[in-house]
Amino acid sequence: MRAMLLIRAVEKAWGDAYLTEEISGIPPSLSTGQEAIAAGACAALGDGDFVFTTHRGQAAQVARGLDPKRILAELYCRRTGYNKGKSYHVTDMTRGVVGMGGIVPAQVPIAGGMALAQKMRGTDRVSLAFFGDGASNEGAVHEAAALAAMWTLPLILLCENNRYCITQRDTDALKGPSIAARAAGYGLPGVVVDGTDPLAVQAAVAEAVARARAGGGATFIEAQCERLTGHLIHDTQPYRSREELESAWKHCPIFLFGERLERERILSADERARMNREIEAEVAGAVAHARTQPYPAIHEAYEDLWA
Amino acid sequence: MFDNRLFRPGGPVKPEEKDWPSFRGAINEAMREEMRRDPLVFQMGEDIALASPFGVTTGLAKEFGRERIRDAPCAEVAVVGAAVGAAMGGMRPIVEFQFGDFMSVAIDQLTHQAAMLRYLTGGQVSVPLVIRLPCGGGQGAGSQHSQSLYSWFAHVPGIKVLLPSTSMDAKAMMKAAIRDNNPVLFFEHKQLYRTRWPVPAEFRDADHVAEFGKAAVRREGVDITVVATLTMVHHALAAAEALAAEGVSVEVIDPRTLVPFDVDTLVASVRKTGRLLVVDEAYLNFGIQAEVIATVAERAFEALKAAPRRLGNPNVPVPFAPCLQDEVLPGRARIEAAIRQMMSR
Ligand SMILES: Cc1ncc(C[n+]2csc(CCOP(=O)(O)OP(=O)(O)O)c2C)c(N)n1
Ligand SMILES: [Mg+2]
Repeated sequence: MRAMLLIRAVEKAWGDAYLTEEISGIPPSLSTGQEAIAAGACAALGDGDFVFTTHRGQAAQVARGLDPKRILAELYCRRTGYNKGKSYHVTDMTRGVVGMGGIVPAQVPIAGGMALAQKMRGTDRVSLAFFGDGASNEGAVHEAAALAAMWTLPLILLCENNRYCITQRDTDALKGPSIAARAAGYGLPGVVVDGTDPLAVQAAVAEAVARARAGGGATFIEAQCERLTGHLIHDTQPYRSREELESAWKHCPIFLFGERLERERILSADERARMNREIEAEVAGAVAHARTQPYPAIHEAYEDLWA
Repeated sequence: MFDNRLFRPGGPVKPEEKDWPSFRGAINEAMREEMRRDPLVFQMGEDIALASPFGVTTGLAKEFGRERIRDAPCAEVAVVGAAVGAAMGGMRPIVEFQFGDFMSVAIDQLTHQAAMLRYLTGGQVSVPLVIRLPCGGGQGAGSQHSQSLYSWFAHVPGIKVLLPSTSMDAKAMMKAAIRDNNPVLFFEHKQLYRTRWPVPAEFRDADHVAEFGKAAVRREGVDITVVATLTMVHHALAAAEALAAEGVSVEVIDPRTLVPFDVDTLVASVRKTGRLLVVDEAYLNFGIQAEVIATVAERAFEALKAAPRRLGNPNVPVPFAPCLQDEVLPGRARIEAAIRQMMSR
């Protein structure tokens, strides 16, 4: 629950910074509605495992335990951000988080290569690639899945089906029963999971991780949820009806999991509110920190190109 | 003809500009006219029916329907391939890429297939297609959404490469591209979309199409030739205006098409001025700037009074942080500085 609330708070801070014109550039891509996927998946991974993120990567960064201060510093284009102002696809190799997403879904074959390296070097580490429903139609995903099957790679292909590829409904492009149903064609196990339930996602990913660590190869998981905000923050989703959006919000993972924890007497509404206040204070602190950080010096434009 | 239009993106439209067509609107109008004229013209692209990122296809789905304005899945190899095959089959496809950078994903379908098929089949097929590629930096969109990659495609045989810099050119060149029987890449600088430009009467003439391979002399001068494309045309014009006050007479040439390239206008200009500066957002290494200078070195070496110079991206990805981004993109100030330096020799 904490991870999901923190994801939403960090992203809200990012969105607000854009909407108040504190930052400019490409509008923020929020993962509102998808928090349970990153939170559940990352809870099933160990230190040393790798995740490859999408253009909506902030959820996985936060869930993987990256420092909101340095995430926000990057989003504020500061030199003390994780990528020194070079790219908002935040990367922290020490935590196994590789930020990608500029080119949909280039991270998937590369995650396959990371899995190959782990296999060849004899570690038991796994590599997990996030990608979207839209991205699943790209050749790169199919080729990566075929390769992972052929070489029994410790790879988890985690498709976040948030029902939309910008303005395109998933079912407009997908004519099979599900995206995960394609896994059979590659000879990989394919699983559909409720992407609004962090525990269900965690269980599915944990099973895939166990298989990969045991040498059983790759798994294709489709986590289904709803994209609750626009593709990018300035997108008001005029292509979705009000009824559709209203019913989508009923699948808000934070709302659903909050209710459940209350029902099961694990976390009361008061406790959740207190948790959220702490998180909001932490994020406000991170924003204040980011604002005080220096911008990169001009000469840094020429650094980091070559190893 | 130049004012500060380019340098106030999103700023208010001045009253006299209201009637001037926007760059984006000009492309839209060209496509609309050609789709009305020729039922074989159709379009494919991600989100083009409902809301394409830069709104260039706005309203077209309403007029022509979703069969002719086809929303494509996120699958660029299949879409470019479909354009090639449909073109061979007698259709005239236009493909929109949301950002031209993504063309990298489908390069084989373009450079090895679209560009070569006519040649390889001994002239049996033609591949009339247009691919629209939003390009250029300045929006803080990061390294993979800010590039100007036309040198990649001008490098290989069989592809026409267009770089419009005004509303008039955008419209006339788009219409000519659609009527052309070859693969054509149409680069649209994102900073130009919202700009508005005064246009001559033929802008309203549905039969007016551009002729490729004809550079535009945007400003006449006698001291130095500046070759610039897309937004850099306007940066160069601003620099020329500033330098005129210092008594330096700058000629600004806008090649408009890289393939075919108007060598004659370039050579004639350098023979007159004896100095050459080439400015482009493209990466400097082995790029358009080098090609222009090499052409002059071959054809008008004896006319040169000074070593030619080039400005461009100094071979680093366009960084995300605006302060770093601005560092790696050329612009008016650098053009002025380079000209001053070349004139002081
Ligand atoms: C090769 C490539 N094609 C298109 C794009 C433009 N684009 C960026 S995000 C996106 C939507 C992808 O949808 P999906 O995979 O469902 O992810 P979501 O946005 O829903 O998280 C698209 C088409 C891109 N960045 N790269
Ligand atoms: Mg999606």
